[in-house]
Amino acid sequence: MPSGNEVAAEAAAAVQPLAGPPGTARTDVSLWMLLKAFVRLGLMTFGGSVQAWVHREIVDRLGWIDNKSYLSGLTVAQVLPGANPVNIALYVGLQLRGAVGAAVAVLGMIVPAFCVIMTLGLLYHAYGHVAAVRFVLLGLAASGVGATLTMGVRVGKRLPRNFVTGAIAVGVFLVVGILRWPMVPVVAIAVPLSIVVAYFDEKRRGGGKEGTAHGL
Amino acid sequence: MDFNRLLGLVIAFVPISLLSFGGGQATVPEIQHQVVAVHGWLTNEQFADLFAIARASPGPSTLIVALIGYQVSGFLGAVVATVAVFLPSSILMYFAAAWWQRNKHNPVRIAIERGLAPVAVGLIFAGALIVLRSAHAGLLALATTAVVAVLQSTTRISTYGTVALVAAIYFAIFLTFHPAAA
Repeated sequence: MPSGNEVAAEAAAAVQPLAGPPGTARTDVSLWMLLKAFVRLGLMTFGGSVQAWVHREIVDRLGWIDNKSYLSGLTVAQVLPGANPVNIALYVGLQLRGAVGAAVAVLGMIVPAFCVIMTLGLLYHAYGHVAAVRFVLLGLAASGVGATLTMGVRVGKRLPRNFVTGAIAVGVFLVVGILRWPMVPVVAIAVPLSIVVAYFDEKRRGGGKEGTAHGL
Repeated sequence: MDFNRLLGLVIAFVPISLLSFGGGQATVPEIQHQVVAVHGWLTNEQFADLFAIARASPGPSTLIVALIGYQVSGFLGAVVATVAVFLPSSILMYFAAAWWQRNKHNPVRIAIERGLAPVAVGLIFAGALIVLRSAHAGLLALATTAVVAVLQSTTRISTYGTVALVAAIYFAIFLTFHPAAA
């Protein structure tokens, strides 16, 4: 497996100079290939693990985008609103084939999955009253919460260790989770506050180094 | 006639789309709030059922809005709800991705990245708690949540495998304790 990845990486490296300076995406990926890749990803990935699958397929196996470019795109996909898998698909499609590629990747991710969930939903309409189905669904909801906790811990571990960051995370959890305030106004207040705090904290610590050289 | 219900879906889901920091999971509380409390389209139990279907389905978990849309206004409702929840955030992502690539060392970019992270983490855990509460989770469900969380954190167990295993175990438990109903 490692040797297979090396071959793929070498192949990608050999193509890249033709496509542009190192670090840019390949340009020889057809829209059809893009569509096929994201239809497959949309149908074989579930909630929390999507980023890992997309990375494995697009970066490791196909070598369409290099690691660094993918990771910076992943950060945007995670921090911006919207479903992470859809945002990642959009980013990869945009890198490879521009606006049309972005649309193709997003539709590839959503449309087949939409058909599957509608089918399951209709089956539920037919069998939803059966006690066994309700009981199994309770189990699946509970395991979904388990997967959500795993993701929360994983993301939480990467937070900077300081009081303000922790206070914002715990505060949002308490206000939305325990007090049940609606999310939208909470986010609208917490996000600008958190960004301003992070900005001045970054400025204070990183001061005269590279940050200001590339600054506003 | 149906137009008002379709418009209701758009009004409910477009703001969620634009404020769904932390991905699909983090938006579950707000989707539930809109659908159950504000619009009264579903009960808490119905919502928990749809959430379970969404978790058992491939693709983004935000696709739960397709099921909600279907309940509210049929197949057209499913399509409208899906577009309302994915299109606005995708447009935002489109412009952000282009800007992001051009400003790698910009302190504003670094601040946005750092500032959004703790909010996202808080919302993820809030979402987990609210789903557990609305499903009226008992000891068995809480144990399931704990076991799945530990397994996924410590092993490489596949998501498909986890879903299939949990479904099989719950079905077996049901057959054991409610043989008459099966």
